Amino acid sequence: MRSAEMTAAPAETRQISLSFLRPSRSTVVGLVAVLLFLILWQIAPSMGWVNGRFTSRPTEVFFAALDIFRNDSFLYHARISLTEFVAGFALAIVVSIPLGVLLGTSKIARYLIDPPLMALYIAPTLVLLPILVIWLGIDMAPKIAVVFLGAVFPIVLNTMAGMSEADSRLLRMARSFGASRFDIFTRVLVPGSLPALLTGIRLAVGRAVLGVVVGELFVSQAGIGYQLNLYGQAMRIDRLLVYALIVSAFGYTLTIMVRSVENKIRDWRSK
Amino acid sequence: MAQIEIRDLGIDYRKPKSNEVFSAVDGVALSIERGEFVTIVGSSGCGKSTLLMAVAGLVNLSRGSIRIDSKEVIGPGPDRAVVFQEASLLPWRSVRGNVKFGLEMQRWNGGDLNERAMQMIRLVGLGRFSDYHPHQLSGGMRQRVNIARALAVDPEVLLMDEPFGALDAQTREIMGTELLRIWERDKKTALFVTHDIDEAIFLADKIVVMGRNPGHIKEVIKVDLPRPRDEAVLDSEDFNNLRRRLRAHLAEDMSSMQLVQEVA
Ligand SMILES: Nc1ncnc2c1ncn2[C@@H]1O[C@H](COP(=O)(O)OP(=O)(O)OP(=O)(O)O)[C@@H](O)[C@H]1O
Ligand SMILES: [Mg+2]
Repeated sequence: MRSAEMTAAPAETRQISLSFLRPSRSTVVGLVAVLLFLILWQIAPSMGWVNGRFTSRPTEVFFAALDIFRNDSFLYHARISLTEFVAGFALAIVVSIPLGVLLGTSKIARYLIDPPLMALYIAPTLVLLPILVIWLGIDMAPKIAVVFLGAVFPIVLNTMAGMSEADSRLLRMARSFGASRFDIFTRVLVPGSLPALLTGIRLAVGRAVLGVVVGELFVSQAGIGYQLNLYGQAMRIDRLLVYALIVSAFGYTLTIMVRSVENKIRDWRSK
Repeated sequence: MAQIEIRDLGIDYRKPKSNEVFSAVDGVALSIERGEFVTIVGSSGCGKSTLLMAVAGLVNLSRGSIRIDSKEVIGPGPDRAVVFQEASLLPWRSVRGNVKFGLEMQRWNGGDLNERAMQMIRLVGLGRFSDYHPHQLSGGMRQRVNIARALAVDPEVLLMDEPFGALDAQTREIMGTELLRIWERDKKTALFVTHDIDEAIFLADKIVVMGRNPGHIKEVIKVDLPRPRDEAVLDSEDFNNLRRRLRAHLAEDMSSMQLVQEVA
């Protein structure tokens, strides 16, 4: 009992504040590596090791970034891509969670829909892009559809797994206290499958970001992917890199956010 | 009439692959008086859990009947509460949340839920840990929570399936003494499965010895040791006699088990 008392929350918070003051070895090593890389990248073209036209330089990328944020109607393009992302993702969540719940709680539904679902999950949804363009035109609609298709399957499959793999011992315990089917659903199944659901959402983020960008690369009149395409054809490596960095920073931030919620929830489970 | 009447009980299961039916429990008859503490012992796989789960209303009966207060058992009910052997705490709920769970399910209306839960948590000695989550507790503490959750709904019958089975001998003894202390307060009927002989004797008014193939009752032994009991009783002459008797029973069962294995 005494030991359990001492493993309470305070220990964790102290660790966090310390690591803030004194960066860990891995952070230091990581920082040094990045710095070395940047220096190498900066001097390589001047030393004639690589052709600067193809590699650009960190300083060039930096100034390109400043220029993009000031003069490139960056907000306009970002808003379009973001709208496509949010619309597709929201749609995916609205559809996938109830579907995942249905599949997770009904064996018959699972037997019926699981195989085609798996097939669609594994097949890269991007192959549907040309068809979607024919059906939906070149505006936002086909990209929203691609985002939707990319995000919907991981969420459905993970929600389904979380529901159907619920701990049978907990279900039995709930029944022993006279829990109704509804009680079992809301008090045991839903909280129990939340981590799996979040895993699904985290996996979906990556696929959705990819969907937006590739959709816009393929055919569009605006958006981040459109800009990427534009500067690619113009051989503006510095600007290309700025947009690539923006895309990955966006996906990375979202993923980290979902993961931190996920970890908080997993903390409750047996370690 | 006795509070719990089990008549000619039989429970069949299907074997996993062959689809063959076999009896886990057969021909079990047992009467339990109100306020009795009954322990069930027997070697592993002899159907102790099955019998207990049948009383809990969690498995279907194949033959016979179980009546509690002359009402036929057809499913779980608020007159019974179960303490399971394995982890059956909700990992996302705190100790207090877990103890409240049964109350919530049964739509408890005997006052404030939090207060009731805290009362039970204090009763099992976890007052300072009410905000902890299960993963922050030791095995013994978790079982205390399980017991508190069952006690909270104020059942007429308390069903316990090897609640201390996963604990070390020392903790197990402490928990047994604690359980008796709590039980002495209002002496509700208790059914307690164990395969620890000392535990079976120490707690019981009546020991049910089960045998296997299929699970049946071999003998029911009355325990007349005076209550309240403490560890001192473990060294008494009467206790030793009972211990010897139970050992002989279980040894017999083990040898018949070996025989089955050798033949097979
Ligand atoms: N759900 C089930 N389906 C099929 N067979 C089962 C099921 N539950 C138990 N059995 C079988 O019934 C028999 C009795 O099991 P039970 O769990 O009641 O034994 P036990 O006496 O509690 O054993 P232990 O002391 O190991 O807990 C065993 O042979 C077991 O394999
Ligand atoms: Mg058992």
